[in-house]
Formats: sequence, structure tokens, C-alpha cells
Amino acid sequence: MANMMQPQIILLKEGTDTSQGKPQIISNINACTGIADVVRTTLGPRGMDKLIHDEKGNATISNDGATIMKLLDVVHPAAKILVDIAKSQDSEVGDGTTTVVLFAGEFLKEAKPFIEDGVHSQSLIRSFRAASNLAISKIKELAVSIEGKSMEEKKSLLAKCAATTLSSKLIGGEKEFFASMVVDSVISIGNDDRLNMIGIKKVPGGTMRDSFLVDGVAFKKTFSYAGFEQQPKKFLNPKMLLLNIELELKSEKENAEIRLSDPLQYQSIVDAEWNIIYDKLDKCVQSGAKIVLSRLAIGDLATQYFADRDVFCAGRVTEEDLQRVAAASGGTVQTSVNNVIDEVLGTCEVFEERQVGNERFNIFSGCPSGRTATIVLRGGADQFIEEAERSLHDAIMIVRRALKNSTVVAGGGAIDMAISRYLWEHARKIAGKAQLFINFIILKGIRGMWPARSSPFRQSPGSNSQPKLVCTPRAFLVLPYLIVQPKCEEGHLMVIPRQLCDNAGFDATDVLNKLRQKHALPSGEGARYGVDINTGGIIDTFANFVWEPAVVKINAINAATEAACLILSVDETVKNPKSESAQGDAAAGAMGRGRGGAGFRGRGRGMRRR
Amino acid sequence: MALAFDEYGRPFIIVRDQEQKTRLRGIDAQKAHISAGKAVARILRTSLGPKGMDKMLQSPDGDVTITNDGATILEQMDVDNQIAKLMVELSRSQDYEIGDGTTGVVVMAGALLEQAERLLERGVHPIRVAEGYEMASRISVEHLENIAQKFVFDATNIEPLVQTCMTTLSSKIVNRCKRPLAEIAVKAVVAVADLERRDVNLDLIKVEGKVGGKLEDTELINGIIVDKDMSHPQMPKQIRNAKIAILTCPFEPPKPKTKHKVDIDSVEKFQTLRLQEQKYFDDMVQKCKDVGATLVICQWGFDDEANHLLMHRNLPAVRWVGGVELELIAIATGGRIVPRFQELTAEKLGKAGLVREKSFGTTKERMLYIEECANSRAVTIFIRGGNKMMIEETKRSIHDALCVARNLIRNNSIVYGGGSAEIACSIAVEAAADRYPGVEQYAIRAFADALDSIPMALAENSGLQPIETLSAVKSQQIKENNSYFGIDCNDVGTNDMCKQNVFETLIGKQQQILLATQVVKMILKIDDIISPSDF
Repeated sequence: MANMMQPQIILLKEGTDTSQGKPQIISNINACTGIADVVRTTLGPRGMDKLIHDEKGNATISNDGATIMKLLDVVHPAAKILVDIAKSQDSEVGDGTTTVVLFAGEFLKEAKPFIEDGVHSQSLIRSFRAASNLAISKIKELAVSIEGKSMEEKKSLLAKCAATTLSSKLIGGEKEFFASMVVDSVISIGNDDRLNMIGIKKVPGGTMRDSFLVDGVAFKKTFSYAGFEQQPKKFLNPKMLLLNIELELKSEKENAEIRLSDPLQYQSIVDAEWNIIYDKLDKCVQSGAKIVLSRLAIGDLATQYFADRDVFCAGRVTEEDLQRVAAASGGTVQTSVNNVIDEVLGTCEVFEERQVGNERFNIFSGCPSGRTATIVLRGGADQFIEEAERSLHDAIMIVRRALKNSTVVAGGGAIDMAISRYLWEHARKIAGKAQLFINFIILKGIRGMWPARSSPFRQSPGSNSQPKLVCTPRAFLVLPYLIVQPKCEEGHLMVIPRQLCDNAGFDATDVLNKLRQKHALPSGEGARYGVDINTGGIIDTFANFVWEPAVVKINAINAATEAACLILSVDETVKNPKSESAQGDAAAGAMGRGRGGAGFRGRGRGMRRR
Repeated sequence: MALAFDEYGRPFIIVRDQEQKTRLRGIDAQKAHISAGKAVARILRTSLGPKGMDKMLQSPDGDVTITNDGATILEQMDVDNQIAKLMVELSRSQDYEIGDGTTGVVVMAGALLEQAERLLERGVHPIRVAEGYEMASRISVEHLENIAQKFVFDATNIEPLVQTCMTTLSSKIVNRCKRPLAEIAVKAVVAVADLERRDVNLDLIKVEGKVGGKLEDTELINGIIVDKDMSHPQMPKQIRNAKIAILTCPFEPPKPKTKHKVDIDSVEKFQTLRLQEQKYFDDMVQKCKDVGATLVICQWGFDDEANHLLMHRNLPAVRWVGGVELELIAIATGGRIVPRFQELTAEKLGKAGLVREKSFGTTKERMLYIEECANSRAVTIFIRGGNKMMIEETKRSIHDALCVARNLIRNNSIVYGGGSAEIACSIAVEAAADRYPGVEQYAIRAFADALDSIPMALAENSGLQPIETLSAVKSQQIKENNSYFGIDCNDVGTNDMCKQNVFETLIGKQQQILLATQVVKMILKIDDIISPSDF
């Protein structure tokens, strides 16, 4: 569009932003790495949290990748893809949301120099795909199955997985405590998919240690009418009647009207209404139930009626809670009080109303079918409990995943290092073009290993100088491949151990070198070594029970590769102008190009990098 | 947030309203948090201890609150900063769980943050600091367990409970009559407690206040006070051995809930209707009389016709009594709430030894006392005081005392107050620190220093030389290997808290330390704040 002499052909509406070609890919990559940088520091047991305000002034403190991504409110179209993969990882596996974003960001970052150097992005994509397939097959090979163990053994193994997830969270200090809680609750709901059978109740106050697991159901005392306090608050082996009807004095039919011509009949109408409700109440009591729960209101009349007959009742129980009670106690929710037979009544060992923090809780424990569990979370602040809930959710998902798909791999970056090495080796074995692909992966690996860039908590100044040394081999490797194909995914994979070290406040370079040495041992015995977060050294993470379900890693690599490929394959964005210029500077400059810079540093060329 | 530029040097937007968002990250974020947290703690610091000062808070609509209860102060301050809000919640959750020690927990968290700042400046990774704190908090909680003592008490021997409640009350404005108030609180809690289940439902204790009189007039009533009077001025003001009908139905002809219409097309029919209505009133009163009720308490109102009839039949009545009060009356008198006149039976009546209407001073206001109840599972604490603020503050103080008594019933271990527990923990943590290799050792030591800040603040507020006093007490503790020594805030002449009878509950203290550590850990863990810039 340099030639201003020619009449301009206007194809799109004015203000439409079109960018295309290589620069577009690069700018997309930049956007994605920008996003990845935000979550970078949350990885690992020593990862930090983010505090994010929204417009309404609510603050969320979180360490969960998906949550952070969601709250960032990303508008950049390419960067949104990263948000989506975080979400999909969350819904698919439930954990590893930070990992997936980091992977994708790192893949793209490694691809950037190649793009700049003129490699066609489709070639990159192909090698990414190949590398990811290799990586996944390697994970499958390295994964250890926990199938076929006894229940007890399995439990402790699952707890290890849960603990690994939890260790990066705010509640990491009590990970064993929560891990066993999570495992117990997941096991108790059995194999069906009804995740809502695990209830998480949040009660502010107390410390994390005060959280407890109920092998049954617990819910907050519902709104009660006068007379409630006179009901008994503790039962042993009570029968429970679960209802979905109102126990209240009310008009039976909404639009009916009674016409009386004889005032003396007045009383009979009144009596008739009362009899209806009394009849219902009577049937409830007749059924032998000692506890009556209803999803709808239980009025004051009913409350007092039950109080008189030593029956406990709670109205307006939420649907979820009632379903859980039904599942736990073996009862069925009734929509009528007629014909209540013994089979539909639930039971539990102990029912008790108990004080939890500032609230009173109805707790049903020791339920016969035991297919539910409730975790009552305690904590010092609302945000704290919110975050604890998210963390537990991750852990629950992990345990469920591990239960179904019982293979685990060593965590702490060990598996990533192992894949890295594998890809490296593999690359060399392939002749021709394909080798270039894999080498691409290797290159990435090398670059990824050096923490000089983007390590917010770099501790030793020494690590700065290291990358220079590395430059030579990298350059060697790169040169031949520049012509042909992509770099290495391997490097990308190294981002995980590196970030673990960075976040833990260790010298990443040092640790990574140790790790590389271990992993390079020809015997393969080093394949399980990862970062030891406690001492800053390396350790056999598998032997030390830092475990992750293999499916988490597989899904993460898959999703990240998909995302990276997707972003690389886009070479043009057509963005229609927002109706009410939502983006501050959306007004397009001349010909949709070259706008912007004014407010910042002039419209400098050559500012390709951030 | 950092802007990204594309090939042509155009910045592009990644996050919505990017320019309007501020982002603070890394060490700056932590520093900002710490200073916010410290600022909150500084406000509360002067309120700590028996010689602590009160704060006056004015709400947007002009109400004035004077208090030295940490949770209340923070609640009313309406802070905007997120970290400060965390501190507010910290204090609130201490309030929910323990009910006492809300000031101490914030001061403790502030001190921990202050110590953390120093470590951060030396380049220690914030997570390492947080982990060190966590280790230290475990050490101190265990140590508290060791120095704690079991209090033996039962329903008849409540002296230990009273002593502990007195410690709580001594820091409040009401401390001049802490003994009677403590006794009231303990008696109330013991009355409603389920000693076997170790459960106390504080809802059963009604705290009622009325301006006038003096604090010494505050009393515990084994029954209920309702801010109501008899429905008719000529009804008797005092009823002995009352049998109370507790009704949730109005003294009115019943109305069906279904839409209805009575067709009146002749004079006779109208007459019958009227007669029937009169009969209803008559029947209702008669039913109450028949079962032997001598007092009617009704949740709803009744019109003049019924009122007159009741008066006429010599049946005193109270109307418009709220649902909660009605329930408490039912519990206290052992009666049942009756929803319908047809259900009224003699067994369902509540019994009270004395029901009287009492007027106060020269005002016309009257209240109804229902006393000497059959079952004293519901009690009332009736607070008198010179002004409204005083009453409100007394209510809060009583609430604290009630919570302390409840906690003791739940767990009867105590530790000694006056900062002695903190000093003992500090010594233990300091000693344990040397056993930990690595950076955490520093954090653990910092924790010990932070623990010292509570006795330090106590001494400061009591007008003592903080450093001198603290070091003297500390050395005394170590020398005599005795954790009873604390700060002599009241200038009694001895540092031995055992002799001074200054006790605090073990769970309260443990909770303080755990909660403070937890929140500090949370604050330290944040390295990135993204917010719209108007915050």
C-alpha cells in the first residue's frame, strides 16, 4: 500500500483491522507468550498466587491456571486460544491448567525465530505434531500402572497423586491431610460420574486443619420457623423422609374460588383446609420417619407439629443437598406423602446438628450406601476458602482420573526431562527432513533450558552468563535446520523443570544441568529424576511419591500442541471494528496500518519484540 | 500490563481495557501488600490489652460506635484495599470461631508481615518465608499444648470459667464490673449448655439492652424479657404461677387461604355472619380459659373487640411477639407453640413462676419479664447502661465472654494470658529454629520475633517500657523455666499470671497463631496484582 498514487481499493469496511503474513504470526505469538508469562510463576510447589480484581471490585486470589486465565478477560483473538485450552484442560482433566498454557506459550516462543528466519509455518506444525506424538508414546511407555493393587494400597497411591497436585496450592502445607480427605471422598462415591455427590461446604473461620470430611451429607441449617429449637437435634439410626412438597397451610388450588351462601358453612371450609395439611403432616409422622427434609418450605405450623412429636424437620433444602442425602441414605425423594412405604425412607447412623464456626450444620454421617461425601472447608478468609475449594476440585479430578486411568508418571519435571531427552535422541536417528523436525524439538529443548530470559525470581547472577556459552551449540544445530524445518519441542518440555526451579527460588541453571546429566545416563535409570523442591537439588521423584497421572501430561501436551499449531497456521486476522470502540485505540490509522505507537514510543520500526 | 508490539510497532491489546488496568508484580507487589497489612495492624495495636484504648467510628449515616473489639473496628472501617480486607476477614473468622482475641490475631499478622518484609529485603524467596512461618506456627501450637493446663469445672463449680471470662472482659470498657458480668456470662452459658455433647447454642441466650440505669444493674434473668406490654392497660401487671398459651394464630375469625366469597343476600344471613364472628371470638377466649391459661402470648395482633373480650374475661394477653422471642419463651417455659385454637391443651401451656411488667425510671417504656421458668434452657442477659453506645459495647463484651465460656466448655484447656503464652512460644520457636537447615531458619526466627510483638504491645499500651519489660519477663521465664510469667498490665506487682488469674483459652490462642500464619502465607504468596486502575 505504499503506492499512494494508485486509487485505493476499499474492500472492507473502514476501521476493519487486517493484518496478514508473517508479521501476523509473530504478533500472535507475542500475544500468547505475554499470556503465558502471566501464569508462569504459578507453577509448582513454590508457585506464587495472583490477585485479580474485576470491575466490580471483587478480588480473587488464585494459583489455578484456568481461573487466572478466565479472570484475565483476554480479548486478543490468538491469545484467547490459550484461555480455551486452559479451560478444556480444566474440564477434561481438572488439573495441569498452568502446565498446558506454559507448554503452548513455550512452543510458540521456540517457533518464533524459525518463523522469522523464513521457515514455513506448516513445516513447523508438522514437526510439532510428530514430536507431540512421540512425546505421548514416551509418556505411555514410562507410565507406571497402579492397576490391580489392593484397595488399601491404591488409596495410598492415589493420595500421592492428590498430594502432588495440592502441593502447588495455598493449602500445600496440609497436603497429606487434604489428600487423604480427597481420596476418601472420591472412593466413597464409587465409580459413577456423579461428581456432584461430593459436596464442598465453605465455612469461614477456623484453620485449614479444622476442615473435615463427613461420610455422608452436611448442610447449613436452613431457614427455620418458631418451634424449630424445640425439635430434637440428635438421632441415632433415624429414618428419613425426603420430600419435594410444601408443608404449609396454603391455598390448594391457585385460581379456585369458594362461594358460600350460608355463613354457617364457613367453618367447614376452614376446617377442610386445615385437615389437608394435618393429614399430610400426620402421614409424615405415621411413616415412622424421625427426620423430614423437604426441598420446599416447611412452614411454622409443620415445624411446631413436628416439634410436638419429636421429629426433626428442615425445609428449603437445596436440590443438590437433597439429592445427596437421598443417595447417601438410600431413600427416595417423594413428591407426595401418600403411600410412604419403608423402602423409600432413608437412614443413617448418626444425625446431629452441630456448631461449625458461626453456623449450625446438619450432619448426617455413617450412611449405609456411602455413595456421597461432604467436605467442610474452613479457612481464615473468604478468598482463602474459595481458593481451597478450587484446589480441592483439582485434586478430586486428579484422583478420579487416576482411578479410571490408573497410570502415573513421575512429577517434579522428571517426565518432562525424560521426554526431552527422548526426543533429542530420536531426532538423531531420523534421516532427512524428519530429522530436522526432531532436531527442531531438540533445539527448543536447549533454549528452553536456559533460564536467562523471563525468570522473575532469578537468584544467581551467574545464570545470566550461561546462555552465551550455550549459544554456540545452539547456533550449530540451528544453522543446518534453518533451511528446512522446525526446531524442537523438547526444549519446550524443559520449560517445566526450569520453571519449577525458578519459582522455588533455586538456581535453575544449576539444577537443570544436574538433571540433564542424570537423564542422559545411557542406562535410563535417571529417567525419574526431577527437581527436589525442598533442597534445591535433584531427586528420584517417583521414589519420593511426586506423582502425576499420565493422562494429565498427555492431555496437556496434546492440547498445547493443538493450540500452538492453530496459532501458527493463522496468517491473517480480519477484525471488524467494534461498534462502540471497545478497544481504546481501535480507531484504525491510515489504511489500517501503522497506528498505535504514538502514545508510546513513537511508531518505531524494529520493535519486533516486546 | 506490558504492551506487546507487532512487526510494525503497533501495540496490540491482549487483555480487555489493558490501559486501564494496573499490574504490580514481583517484590513490589509483596511490599505493597505488606504495608497495607501493617497499616491495618497498626490501627488495632493500641486497642490490645487491659489498658488498650477504644476507637470511635462513625458510619456513613452518622451512627457512632465506640469499641475496642478488633472485629467490630475493622468491620466498621470499611476498608477498600484487598489486603486490608483480608485482615478484616481474618479478624472476622477469629470472631466466628472463637469470639475473642480478634485484636490479637491482627496484631500478630501485622507483626509477621513486618518481619517478612525484612527477610524479603535480604532476598529470601517469599515462599520460603511462608514455609518457615508455617513450621514455626506448628512448633508454637505444639508448645502451647504442652504449657496448657486443664481446668476442672462442672455445673456447680464455675469459678474457673468466671476467672477466664474476667480476663476477656478486663480489656473492655466494662472492666469496672467485670466480676459480675463474667458471672452472668458463665451462668448463662452453663444454663444453656449441653454438657454431655459439649455443645452450646448461643442462640438460646438472649442479650437485651435498655438505656438507663447503670452498668451494675445488668442482670441475668432465668427466663425471657420481651420488649412488649400487656395488650390492654387495665390487665394485671403481675401474674404469679402463670400458665402461658403461646399462640401463632391471631384472635380473629379464621380465613381460608383459598379465595372465597360469602354471598349475603338477606338480612338474616348478615345477622348470622355477625353472630358467628362474635362466636368465634368468644370460643377462642373460652378455649384458652378452658385449658387453664392465665396468660396469652400471641405472635399476631388482635383487634379491639378481642382485646376487650380478653380484658373482660380476665385473661391477660401480649400481642405482636416476634417469632424468635416466641420460640425462646416456649423453650424457657417448657410450653409448646400452638398454631391453632383447636390444638390447645393443658399440656401445651408454658409455665412461669412470675410474669411481670416492669417500667423503667420515668419513661413510659415497659418490658415484660417472664421469670422463674420451669426449664431454664433459655436465658436473658439484660444490660443497663448510661447510653446507647455503652450498651452496644457491653453487648459486644458480653458476647466475647459468652464465647470464651463456650470454648472452655468445648475444650477445657487454658493457657496463661498477659502475653505469657506468646513469650513462651517465642522462646520455644527461637530454640527450635537452630535445628532447621536452610533459609527457613531465618523465617522461624522472624516468627519468634513477631510473637514478641504481642507482649510488647501489651506493655506499651500499659505505659511500661516495652523492651525492658519484655526482656525482664523473658529472662524470668527462662530462668525459672516457668511459662506463667507475663506482662503485669494492671500493675498488681507480680508477673505471675497464675496468681493474677489471667487466663485465656488454649483453642483461642492456637487459633490466633494458625489463622495469622495462614493469612500471612496467603499474602506472601501473591506476586501479581491485576486491577482496574481506579482501585
